[in-house]
Amino acid sequence: MVNKSDKKGQITIFIILAIMIVALGIVIYMFYPQIKSSLGFAEQNPSAFMQSCLQDKIKETVDKITPQGGSLNPEFYYLYQDVKIRYLCYTNEYISLCTVQEPMLKESIESEIKANIQSDVTECLNELESSFTGRGYQVSLHRGTFAVELLPKRIAVTLNSSLSLKKGDETETYQEFKVVLNNNLYELISIANSILSFEATAGDVETTAYMNYYRDLKVEKLKQGDGTKIYILTDRNTEDVFQFASRSQVWSPGY
Amino acid sequence: MKKNNLIKLAIFLLIGIFLISLISSQVSYCCEKTTYGAWCQNEEESKCSSSFQKAPTSCEATSFCRQGCCFNSQEGNCIENTPQKICMEKKGLWNANSNCEIPQCDLGCCLIGNQAAFVTQTRCKRLSNLYGLSINFKTEIGSETECILSATSDIEGACVFAQETEITCKRTTQKECNEMEAKGESGGFFSFFENTEVVESSVEFYEGKLCTNAELETNCAPSQKTTCIEGEDAVYFLDTCGNKANVYDAGKYNDQNYWAEIKDVAESCGYGESNANSRTCGNCDYFYGTTCKKFERGVDAGSPNIGDYICRDLGCTYEGVRYEHGESFCAVVAGGDLVIGEDATFNEENLAEKNQPGSRYFRLLCYNSEIIVEPCADFRTEVCIQDEINGYRAAACRVNRWQDCTSQTDEEDCENEDKRDCIWFDVEDVKGCAPKYSPGFDFWENNTENEGLCKTADVECTMEYTKPIGGSWNCEENCECDDDSWKTKMNNVCGYIGDCGSKNNYLGYQGFFSMGDLYEKESIEKD
Repeated sequence: MVNKSDKKGQITIFIILAIMIVALGIVIYMFYPQIKSSLGFAEQNPSAFMQSCLQDKIKETVDKITPQGGSLNPEFYYLYQDVKIRYLCYTNEYISLCTVQEPMLKESIESEIKANIQSDVTECLNELESSFTGRGYQVSLHRGTFAVELLPKRIAVTLNSSLSLKKGDETETYQEFKVVLNNNLYELISIANSILSFEATAGDVETTAYMNYYRDLKVEKLKQGDGTKIYILTDRNTEDVFQFASRSQVWSPGY
Repeated sequence: MKKNNLIKLAIFLLIGIFLISLISSQVSYCCEKTTYGAWCQNEEESKCSSSFQKAPTSCEATSFCRQGCCFNSQEGNCIENTPQKICMEKKGLWNANSNCEIPQCDLGCCLIGNQAAFVTQTRCKRLSNLYGLSINFKTEIGSETECILSATSDIEGACVFAQETEITCKRTTQKECNEMEAKGESGGFFSFFENTEVVESSVEFYEGKLCTNAELETNCAPSQKTTCIEGEDAVYFLDTCGNKANVYDAGKYNDQNYWAEIKDVAESCGYGESNANSRTCGNCDYFYGTTCKKFERGVDAGSPNIGDYICRDLGCTYEGVRYEHGESFCAVVAGGDLVIGEDATFNEENLAEKNQPGSRYFRLLCYNSEIIVEPCADFRTEVCIQDEINGYRAAACRVNRWQDCTSQTDEEDCENEDKRDCIWFDVEDVKGCAPKYSPGFDFWENNTENEGLCKTADVECTMEYTKPIGGSWNCEENCECDDDSWKTKMNNVCGYIGDCGSKNNYLGYQGFFSMGDLYEKESIEKD
């Protein structure tokens, strides 16, 4: 004979088990892609492998350089809230207009990103090779150069490395790999160039002109004690930020 | 005699060399690169990097730091005031015309789809290439405004085509529709709808019509879904095929005509108004302070009757005052806080307490429901000015024009706002013209110029005392000069000139001098 309290206990256990199964189901449903990849049963193709291997590294570099005026270790900077912000236009004099310090901003940022992900690219190619070798492929990897390009709404890294995978009679060949990071840095740099042009010719910029035209753009101009201006450009949708410093047409204290 | 002359000459030469070296140590050099990393600066010689060139002249006079125009032939950008060496090292094309008045930098109107940019021809080529469009560069359009206004979107319509067993439709331009047709003829193509393949090649374009037009007999029908479209302000209805329909107007949801033809925003509900938080109309306008956003409880005041999108109010509230999107206003730091409105204005009474050392002016902007704080230049070299047109407030930071205040002797000239920012004061018979926004000084540095300026507010007061035989000293003349109130008033006059006299800083802390430090008393006895 089953005791009434035992029956109650069984029901409670069943309810708890049911809740746990449902919760597990929800967790698997919500985090399936991550669980899948972390358990290592994701059969990624080489392009997807390179994308997932490199994109976080590119993002890390971009997140480091964009608040610093596009440089990883700025040589000439203004320290603002413990961030070294590179001067893109500067004069040490009063009243004078600034001298442009970086006329090729886009190209300079591309080379900064390239220099910083160089070792990651090598590492990812090594991982790619060992991953497919481990999966029983005969791997032939020819390492070539790679290029970083800032493009509208994205940053593209093109690896001119070719890969040949052979398993049984089947052979797959990849001539190059393209890793893309969604980012509005290209647009922010275009705005920065326009601001620099005004700083170098007129000594100042009216920020509202940019915000009226580019609706998702926030432009902050913060004048510091020595006359340095910190510009913070933010894309309101993506929250991508680009910061830089300029010192132009400064009035001396007591002028 | 000859020997004496030689000695004299040697001494003369030595003195000359010494003087030259003394002068040259103070002469400004053009440093190609400074020790602190800046390119092309006029600096002391000691601050020029030894690895780079330098010359005892202004940078403009040197070949290595001469400023000019740097043209980026890849991107088509022209950057003014760029030294030759930096430009060429970075593989730019340098031209001596520092204002970039060269043919490569001539601007024109670049039409990219329905967008326009006032750029160089090379830049236009680059942009067209990046967006996969053919170049459309118009040199005859000479201004940015004209260029932006000339941007027109291609006429859209319904592109009807067969898909599997159904007749479906995509709202697009004639050109895009023709491309679909061309691709379809070559034997099936992937349509713009993901993972669907068009197997029939019959594609027809109906200009100005919506896919939901009953005459077209497509499988696209009106839906209760709405959406925001990138680059547009309004909320739009969507049809069941996912195509953009007309501007969201709840009252016209059941109106078949509203789902038949494409209507311009000017023909839609609430045109010329903000339609902020409207439950029924999605005709938002950024310049009226609204934009399409997904409805959020707690952020938006009213939920839409149909769909999930609404015209979000982009205005702001600051210190209990409502500001429209795009408005700007002035503030000043007082007691460590930003003060706006009446408290930020100045008059003779509050001048001394407002322009304290360390205080500065600010412009505050209301954009996208956010207040952006923009400081004017420090040391009150810039002030914030504000005006109102039809209730719309606009502010700007501009240079503080105080420099010739102290030389004005007439009240009218002094307070001529077109020329200067000065205020006339009359304190205990001490009259004069002082800066309305007293400038800040870097008084912690050895700046004799500022000290001299403060001295202009020095006042001498001769008090006369008499002492009868056997009696005590009695003040006979100018006795008020010994009163604390007189001293305070005179100190305020000092304060008008700049960071002079005894002042508390903007946080309320006492400065270098107390009132007693400023007051010197000298006794001269007469028989």
